[in-house]
Amino acid sequence: MRKLFEPFSFYFQHSKMLTKTRMQYKLDAFLCCIAVFVRESAGIVGVFLVLQTFNNIGGWNMQELFFLFSIIFLTYSFLVFLFSGIRDFSNIVNNGEFDKYLLRPRSVLLQIISANSDYFAAIGHGTLGLVLFIISANSIGTDWSFANILYLIITIIGGVLIQASIWLLFSCSSFFLIKTDSLKDFLYWNTRKFAGYPLSVFPGFIQKLLMFVIPFAFVNYFPAQYFLHKPDLAN
Amino acid sequence: MSIIVENLSKTFKIKEKQKGIGGALKSLVAPKTKLIKAVEDISFTIDDGQAVGFIGPNGAGKSTTVKMLSGILYPSAGRINVNGLVPYKNRIEHVKNIGVVFGQKSQLWWDLPITDTFDLLKKIYKIPSDVYSRNLELFNEILGLHEFETQQVRQLSLGQRMRADIAAAFLHEPSIVFLDEPTIGLDVVAKEKIRLFIKEINRVKKTTLLFTTHDMTDIEKTCQRIIVIDKGKILYDGTIDSFKTKLNKDDFNEAVYEMFTGGI
Ligand SMILES: Nc1ncnc2c1ncn2[C@@H]1O[C@H](COP(=O)(O)OP(=O)(O)O)[C@@H](O)[C@H]1O
Ligand SMILES: [Mg+2]
Repeated sequence: MRKLFEPFSFYFQHSKMLTKTRMQYKLDAFLCCIAVFVRESAGIVGVFLVLQTFNNIGGWNMQELFFLFSIIFLTYSFLVFLFSGIRDFSNIVNNGEFDKYLLRPRSVLLQIISANSDYFAAIGHGTLGLVLFIISANSIGTDWSFANILYLIITIIGGVLIQASIWLLFSCSSFFLIKTDSLKDFLYWNTRKFAGYPLSVFPGFIQKLLMFVIPFAFVNYFPAQYFLHKPDLAN
Repeated sequence: MSIIVENLSKTFKIKEKQKGIGGALKSLVAPKTKLIKAVEDISFTIDDGQAVGFIGPNGAGKSTTVKMLSGILYPSAGRINVNGLVPYKNRIEHVKNIGVVFGQKSQLWWDLPITDTFDLLKKIYKIPSDVYSRNLELFNEILGLHEFETQQVRQLSLGQRMRADIAAAFLHEPSIVFLDEPTIGLDVVAKEKIRLFIKEINRVKKTTLLFTTHDMTDIEKTCQRIIVIDKGKILYDGTIDSFKTKLNKDDFNEAVYEMFTGGI
């Protein structure tokens, strides 16, 4: 039993140290969170402006699109809180930190996950995700029953794990292909941009990309379809 | 026998950059690679408790050897056995028993006092509390860590940081410690403290040491034996005294200088 919990206590010791580190730069931390929030909100404002003229995108109105976006931001918040070490893996290798982990008698993956956490991005994205969720949740016609809340929680957990797995895949490949950063940026970040819109508006190959290659559709699109009872792609 | 190295080699393959846009395109299609033989067919053994000076000019292959012994790098050829284990195969078992100090790097948390890193190491290596506090006390005595233990690492002088990094590497009582240029850039006082520490730990705990430095006084004051390496090959392996005799010099420094510039 003790052995089972040991990795968690290992993780929390790192969390304590990371928090202590961040608290030394309080103003810096605060500004960083604001900056992330503003940067990400700009994209949302763009969608808002487009919808002033078009009314909907692929049959999804503004509230529904905000709900779609909220899942991206909420999952990203947990993702970088827990797994930013996997995202920044190539930096960790380049600055020699990876060697340090290799020299310690612990799982390298556990060390990378424990010793890295992007609190600023987590707070910035998390706040935006929450705002979008609160704006949209009551006007999309979803009955927030216990079952649906549970489904939402599972959606978030699943979304976090899917994206973490994508990152992990790229991290592993960086051992064989030295520079994978640009590949990751290209595939992950562009796919993530697509995921802000309903899958049905895209041509077939992008739909396939989001379903089978970088499976972002399972992070937000399919779960949102369930909550919104959207029939698109059904035929 | 704690370290056995047989016919060990490491060859790095690096891509050569070619000039101009044409060159950039060429290296994209058919990259020109160059082989660097960092370590070439070296063999030696080190007994339990021995302190060995590992010397040679810049680029000789010292760090590469240390990295292979500590399990960070995979050898290109040859065999390594450390405490009965193959470093790159039994990573976790192997690193429980070794400590490594790289003078150019630090394993301390930059924004926190050293005690936080030490506490983390206690957890990582599962060091029993009594052993941990006993060691800290002993290390404090020689390295004077108390003076700066509440300051953040980024505020420490190079000498203070290095003393802390060395303490960190010995905290879990490893049977072997690799020290790769731990005295680089330090003043005489800091160097002396480090030498004293290394000597004392080697005496009291019988820790096996492989010590890399460019300061021959470091070696004379701490090591019984030296291994001299240049261009990836071992030039000498034996005691300091017979080294001096071999090169016909009374002064160790001069003997080393002679060895690396001789032949010309
Ligand atoms: N990662 C690497 N990639 C390519 N060449 C390397 C690498 N590490 C070391 N070398 C080369 O191997 C040789 C030996 O380096 P090193 O072991 O660091 O020497 P020393 O520690 O004795 O100064 C040098 O020529 C160096 O440029
Ligand atoms: Mg070196």
